[in-house]
Amino acid sequence: MTTAVTQDEIDAVFPIVSATMADALGCDVEDIQPDVSLIEGLDAESIDFLDMVFRLERAFKIKIPRGKVVENARGTLTEAEFEHKGIVTDIGLAQLRAYLSEVPADRFKSPMKVANIPRLFTPETFCKLVVQAQRDAKPAA
Amino acid sequence: MTDHFSAFSFVDRISVFEPGVRARGTFAIPLDIEAFPVSLVSEAVGQLAAWTAMAHIGFRGRPVAALALETRLTRGVIPGQTLDLVVEIDDCDDDAVAYHGHARVAGAPVIEVRDCLGPMLPVAEFDDPVAMAAQLELLTGDGAVPRRLRAVPALRAQRRATQSPGVVEGLLEVPAAAPFFRDHFPRRPVLPAALLFDAQLALAGELLTECGRWPAGAPIVPQRVTRFKLRAFTPPGATMQLRAEILQNKASDDMISMELSASAEGKPVATARAEFSPRSVA
Repeated sequence: MTTAVTQDEIDAVFPIVSATMADALGCDVEDIQPDVSLIEGLDAESIDFLDMVFRLERAFKIKIPRGKVVENARGTLTEAEFEHKGIVTDIGLAQLRAYLSEVPADRFKSPMKVANIPRLFTPETFCKLVVQAQRDAKPAA
Repeated sequence: MTDHFSAFSFVDRISVFEPGVRARGTFAIPLDIEAFPVSLVSEAVGQLAAWTAMAHIGFRGRPVAALALETRLTRGVIPGQTLDLVVEIDDCDDDAVAYHGHARVAGAPVIEVRDCLGPMLPVAEFDDPVAMAAQLELLTGDGAVPRRLRAVPALRAQRRATQSPGVVEGLLEVPAAAPFFRDHFPRRPVLPAALLFDAQLALAGELLTECGRWPAGAPIVPQRVTRFKLRAFTPPGATMQLRAEILQNKASDDMISMELSASAEGKPVATARAEFSPRSVA
């Protein structure tokens, strides 16, 4: 079982993550606050998510498989436990809230479509993704 | 001859083909066309990458929109020349393809593209997967009929007055029908990014010609394009707003950087940064 990403780990990668995101989105790095919604706050679109993941892979020399963020958010839950017919289950929503702890509670709508999960993503979400990918890249001790 | 696989197809033959890894191919520019813009050379490299990527994932998806973080343009091409195309796939799965590559003419570099990324969308939404597979078999076998391109589509924006110095704006009326839409794509026609980009470069070039920075008559051409990003599809008949703005440059610089953007109905469609100089690429 993986341990939660710590604030220190997030802080360590945030400067590069924010600079990379600002470059991809064409905005000022000051606009990249850890908890800003990428879609609603920074007008990111699906092509921008692809761009950001691509750039982060280059910047950190890591591999971030597509769909990894949802997989990480799911944690130990099976797909069937996490969602049913494209809707996040109650237990799945609780898991999502725990994983995306930086996202204000009022942004978790119920029922929530799996397809709408990216609307919750913030720069901190991507920091967690990077940290997890760095951990995965390290050989087990 | 139908327009499918001819009106907007820029690979004639594929001589080296390793799906998901690399490919080499050629495209003969017909002698009887007026010109062949650099944006279409870039499109040719992208199309070769697309064939490689589509074959790798069994024609479930095709790259459609695109990101190109850097394109270097060394020289232009003229009708009658043959493009030698090379692509190396950096990464490819059902979601996206990342690649780099180049085009040369008789061994001389024309363009080099780096860090290109294309999101994969369902092939069947845009084209007939069976016809696509058959076309690939033709390209990797005897090759398609060379010089089947009958005309190079060129779209130009109608310039609008603007009060801002160093800025040029224009309206681009996308035709409601055109042969290239039957190739790009038969089931869902969308404006090719290469044609939009060509129109953007032409509009930017008008401003640069007038700015008095360089000798009159000097051919002003893009040398490097970075951060090209296509954000949305444009259907036939759409009206687009194009804008190009000169960025801060030192007077001593031989190069002028410009920010290019295109939007439709208030939403961004494409953005890029281009560096121009009066050096000839012909």
